Amino acid sequence: MTTPSILDKIQSAAGNDGRHGQLISELFSVFLVVTLVFYFLVFAFLLWAIFRRRRGDSREQPLRAILAGWVGLIALGLAGLTTASWVFDRRLARADSGPALEIEVIARQWWWDVRYADNDAHRVFRTANELHLPVGVPARITLRSSDVIHSFWIPNLAGKQDMIPGRENDLSLLPLREGVYRAQCAEFCGLQHARMALDVTVESPAAFAAWRAAQLRPAAAPAAGPAQAGQAIVTGRQCASCHAIAGTPASGQVAPDLTHFASRRTIAAGTLPMSRANIAAWITDPQTPKPGNNMPRVPLSPAELDAVTAYLETLR
Amino acid sequence: MVRRVGVWTVSALVLALAVAALAVLWSLRTDRPQPRSAVLERLAPLPPPEARALPAASAARAEEGQWTMPLGDYAATRFSALDQIDAGNVSELRPVFTFDTGIAKGHEAAPLVVGSTMYVVTPFPNIVYALDLTRPGNPLKWAFRPRPLQRAQGVACCDVVNRGAAFAGGRIFFNTLDGQTIALDAETGREIWRTRLGNIDIGETLTMAPLVAEGRVLVGSSGGEFGVRGWLAALDASSGALLWKAWSTGPDSDVLIGPDFRPFYASERGRDLGVTTWHPEGWKLGGGTAWGWISYDPDTRLIYYGTGNPGPWNPDQRPGDNKWTAGLFARDLRTGQARWFYQSSPHDLFDHDDVNESILLDIPVGGRRRPVLVRPGRTGFMYVIDRFTGQVLAADPYAHVNSIRRIDLRTGRPQYAPEKAPRSGRVVRDICPASPGGKDWNPSAFSPRTGLIYVPHLNLCMDHGITEANYIAGTPYLGAESRMHAGPGGHRGVLTAWDPVARRPVWRIREDLPLWSGALATGGDLVFYGTMDGLFKAVDARSGRLLWQYQLNSGTIGQPVSYRGPDGRQYVAILAGVGGWSGAIVSGALDKGDPTSALGFVNAVRDLPARTDAGGRLYVFALPR
Amino acid sequence: MSSPFRAEAIMLALLALAGCHRETRDYRSDAMKAAERGAAFEDNAFHIAQGQRLYAWMNCAGCHAHGGGGMGPPLMDDEWRYGGRMEQIAATILDGRPNGMPSFRRRVTEDQAWQLAAFVRALSAQPRQDALPGRADEPRNTEPMTLDERKPIRPVTAKSDDASEE
Repeated sequence: MTTPSILDKIQSAAGNDGRHGQLISELFSVFLVVTLVFYFLVFAFLLWAIFRRRRGDSREQPLRAILAGWVGLIALGLAGLTTASWVFDRRLARADSGPALEIEVIARQWWWDVRYADNDAHRVFRTANELHLPVGVPARITLRSSDVIHSFWIPNLAGKQDMIPGRENDLSLLPLREGVYRAQCAEFCGLQHARMALDVTVESPAAFAAWRAAQLRPAAAPAAGPAQAGQAIVTGRQCASCHAIAGTPASGQVAPDLTHFASRRTIAAGTLPMSRANIAAWITDPQTPKPGNNMPRVPLSPAELDAVTAYLETLR
Repeated sequence: MVRRVGVWTVSALVLALAVAALAVLWSLRTDRPQPRSAVLERLAPLPPPEARALPAASAARAEEGQWTMPLGDYAATRFSALDQIDAGNVSELRPVFTFDTGIAKGHEAAPLVVGSTMYVVTPFPNIVYALDLTRPGNPLKWAFRPRPLQRAQGVACCDVVNRGAAFAGGRIFFNTLDGQTIALDAETGREIWRTRLGNIDIGETLTMAPLVAEGRVLVGSSGGEFGVRGWLAALDASSGALLWKAWSTGPDSDVLIGPDFRPFYASERGRDLGVTTWHPEGWKLGGGTAWGWISYDPDTRLIYYGTGNPGPWNPDQRPGDNKWTAGLFARDLRTGQARWFYQSSPHDLFDHDDVNESILLDIPVGGRRRPVLVRPGRTGFMYVIDRFTGQVLAADPYAHVNSIRRIDLRTGRPQYAPEKAPRSGRVVRDICPASPGGKDWNPSAFSPRTGLIYVPHLNLCMDHGITEANYIAGTPYLGAESRMHAGPGGHRGVLTAWDPVARRPVWRIREDLPLWSGALATGGDLVFYGTMDGLFKAVDARSGRLLWQYQLNSGTIGQPVSYRGPDGRQYVAILAGVGGWSGAIVSGALDKGDPTSALGFVNAVRDLPARTDAGGRLYVFALPR
Repeated sequence: MSSPFRAEAIMLALLALAGCHRETRDYRSDAMKAAERGAAFEDNAFHIAQGQRLYAWMNCAGCHAHGGGGMGPPLMDDEWRYGGRMEQIAATILDGRPNGMPSFRRRVTEDQAWQLAAFVRALSAQPRQDALPGRADEPRNTEPMTLDERKPIRPVTAKSDDASEE
């Protein structure tokens, strides 16, 4: 579960894996080509100016024709770039419209609260630090923040969009290639801004539907043994004050939803890879891997820690 | 070149400066609002006799001169036919007896009078006092101390109030704050049975007055601010055994929705709507507590009661219509099976519980009499609903409302004004009515002699901000911060005389302070009510003219009653003792520096501590012999 | 001394001296330790700010509003039913109190309770001015706190705090 797979894509700001990112990439290429042409032209002129033979007459000749030609060329270039800009902007706007999968992401210090909306209230669900998208299906993400300014950035798919407290922004995506992408917060938001990553999985629509159905299911009751004891601890003590696990009395709203915690690839927004050892390490001392984050050190005896870890592992 | 400044110029300058200084000083004067006096507005003529509503005949009380339940009778009329005290002699009314309860919290109960005994239930610790009316000085006959758990005080949202007891079959039934229903022998005060229904550790308390009908005691829980799941239960009056319990959220089997359920509107039809109109698991913390009034029609054996607000207050955390909260149920008394339901606030945005009284009336329509119920809702609309089908025949605003544009009578749904909907991370200003609504729990009165409903209500608006609500069992599950203030006009309370047939107010009295006491209508064409700074008033039922008032030792939020004493004279009784949600600033000694305290009410009544004190006293008034 | 038992007498005297070690009596052991712990959280802006966050998260605002009270008593004045020192407030939070204050011992960690206690004291402006939280997010009737110089209502000192607090 923790070993990188061939589906893991390299995080790249070129953004060619999503429609919006692709369009921006293409526009970038147009700009690059045009400006390179002018760059080389200017360079050529410079070289010629340096190395040409001097004439006897030191008086300068007026350059009217050449100057006019040069200005005209620049005007043409700028007009071309402006037109290209406008054309791509219209293409981006078209990519934004139309029916889309509605998702709401609320950024918090320092994790991502992800809610999948639906017209049917009882098909709404909540997860944390991960996003699943069906390939080729447009998605519209509403971006909010609950504390300070964050910024939502999936480099491979699209550009950045700030998440500002008191304001709702949105971002449209159209993923084109399956894979696992790493997204992150792109606006300094406090002590752990650097450890606020988001796992974005783009998969086939069938796989997405299966994942969605799994997310709607409440946590299964654990089998007898340490996992059951762990559930009693998690739902009866400090954990339930902040975390929610559907199907149990724990309904805290201010911390990541743990109903399907063990099915995620990382713990604490990309801080640690998911594994039993890391779960235990995180619970024992969350302040060492991610100092300053809002999860306190809950005092647990070794037996209790074992039980809680066993229970959390069952939350797939 | 320097021009000499003339003496006139200098004088003009000095004068201008003086005027400016005076203007500044004037604007800086302490903005302590002077108490306004009540203002009467006459708006429409009284309805002629043939155009008057009548109380549902089946629900009339058995015997005049008594008061066996807080609303007076099953039709919720709060009307006493006694007419010894009338407009001509009420100016001579004076207190003949007082009794101190010894508790300085909000007294919301109605004193009961059965035979020659008066029964009073106090706020926590919910002592029941029985007073002997045959002996001079009305001495104590017995007192019953249920000793409820002290920590119940920590989960009472709106002061530790109790809305009264009910008498039936020689027994007194009442609820305690810590979730118990108790039956006492009315004569001796001996406890007959006690049933625990509420769990205070999750925030479930009992504050309502039970309704007893045909051997069943109906009890509904409180705690909608704590994320509890609301219910209405029926106990056997003789043994206290649980007969049925209808939850307000959850699957149909829990809500007792079965083949008899025939709601009028399409949005109430479907399977397990108490689950599917919530996000997954949301219905378990859904609220919908039934802490208010119940009416009963003995002909059809249907009870009518409303459910409270959904939990949490923050609507973004509970997408969907949130059935079956903030709506009115009609259920069969014997089985509890639901007959119909009407949701006045789907996906409630403003804590508009629907627990207000339903007055059962027969309204003249096209020559015939149509059986309806009329209820002033928290939304600020006066609903006229067909008793059998649940169809809303009319919904007209009786208070200032800008949060709902209108009620669509085809679908029954309110059209919320989008600019007044709460938004995350923002404060939306001037939402009217505020969260206590156009009117909160305090019951109206109906007089068949005038055909008018006398509604003591509010004129409050609020600034409302929503934040994230976190659920921790036994602690509030809110997610909202409010700050209330007076509505348009500057007055905070209104007594409206409403014509339910013509659907308009006939006269209105604007009161400075919010009205939180119940109203009483009598056969002498008088309407009694009290203010939060302690003025107990009698006004003419026809014109609204103030005929008499008396200053009580504390503001009153109680329900006035009238009865015939053992000596044949008519008496009027009321409990004084300010508190409740509106008066918490006094009964809880809250700090007005924080406008969000008491869920925003403190900001609206910052002047109250200067105008009244906490207290707890029963007053009984009569004419001189 | 010319007693036949001189050596034994000296030995006994030495032994008696050894018995002179007087046991230490820690009269206020818990209170002393608690007060030290409280001091670490008291004037610390970080802990007060965390306490402000926890005050909303743990639903303290639901009963006490933002200091004005409601279901619970006000916290922004100088009346303390159960004591206004850091360790007393922390104890109230952890243990609960008979008239309805729930116990948060199983709902928050001890450190969080201290942070909450620091914030509760900040509601009546007890800590140092530079440690007080400057930003209030709730609807208020006053100017933002950063423009106000907040004076403590009445400082709670060890001397003023006794069994009869009110």
